[in-house]
Amino acid sequence: MTNSQFQLFAAEAEHPPVVSATGDIDLANVNEFSDVLNRAAADSDAITVDLSDVTYCDSAAVRALFAVAATTKLGLIVPASGTIVTLLSISGLDRVATVVTRD
Amino acid sequence: MQRILERMQADLIDALGLAITVHDKRRDERPAVLASLGIGADFADAQLSGIGGPVPDALAYQVPVLSPDLWTDDRWPELTLATLCDRAPHHESSWEQVRGAVAVPGVWADDATVVVCCTLSQPASAATVASLITYEQLVSAALITTAAENASAIADIITVLQSRGAIEQAKGALMGLARCDADQAWKMLRRGSQEFNVKLRELSVAIVEHISGAPAEQPGAETPITPDERTREAARLMWAALSEAPLPQ
Repeated sequence: MTNSQFQLFAAEAEHPPVVSATGDIDLANVNEFSDVLNRAAADSDAITVDLSDVTYCDSAAVRALFAVAATTKLGLIVPASGTIVTLLSISGLDRVATVVTRD
Repeated sequence: MQRILERMQADLIDALGLAITVHDKRRDERPAVLASLGIGADFADAQLSGIGGPVPDALAYQVPVLSPDLWTDDRWPELTLATLCDRAPHHESSWEQVRGAVAVPGVWADDATVVVCCTLSQPASAATVASLITYEQLVSAALITTAAENASAIADIITVLQSRGAIEQAKGALMGLARCDADQAWKMLRRGSQEFNVKLRELSVAIVEHISGAPAEQPGAETPITPDERTREAARLMWAALSEAPLPQ
């Protein structure tokens, strides 16, 4: 079962595993998103989640990210502006994850 | 609800305060603290009074809100140690210990939301959020279950009241209305009970029934606390008097 919307790239040398997401993340697919995050975090103490191609994400995604950040050092790659950035700052997720902006 | 809070407190050893706040938008009422421990109610009430904070943000945006260091958080410039000490001086030593806070929202019926909030003596972390998410699900499930069994929102609240702490709930409502602390709310209830010569417990139920605006009849309840007409009238008068009184500054 491959899901093109969430891709997991294994860790390489100094770099932690990367989960790359695209499209919308909402209640309909947040479980898949969580599963991929958990798989990435399973054998690594740090993961990076690339959200720069995510078009929409809501509370469900924020919850999933908080949950994985509870046990893993979380790095986020986000677009320079937009709802995702707003969501991160409202929730304070940007205060517990390392956020890198990509434009 | 109180039992859930007690379990949370056992889990979150650094917790200084816990509160469950509900907002039923269908009734166009302000959010109210349903249950609390420690400084939880005072903390939630202060934020909801217009100062801002994790609880109103979690309600408004429906996302978990985390603050590792509350008093220095630039999201809520008015939420400061000095403001809270001023509002609830009896908790001054607790306010001084506060570091982090987390608020996690949930929806338990159409347009009815709940926020579970905790304040910690340590910086809050993603693990605090994860833990609160679990408890929020528990709280929402409890609210949904009671709502399903009783068919109306008031019935849920009544059920909560019956199982535990009828008086606590009314106190919370009074604290929200009169912007006072728990002690003052307790005195108000006791005075009301004496003045109108009604049982304090029944008066508490009648107050909650009154503010929810639902009919007092609850055919589904097993052992209902049913305030009589006189007690309801007392609750109505008391609430009206407090609603009209200028808020103490």
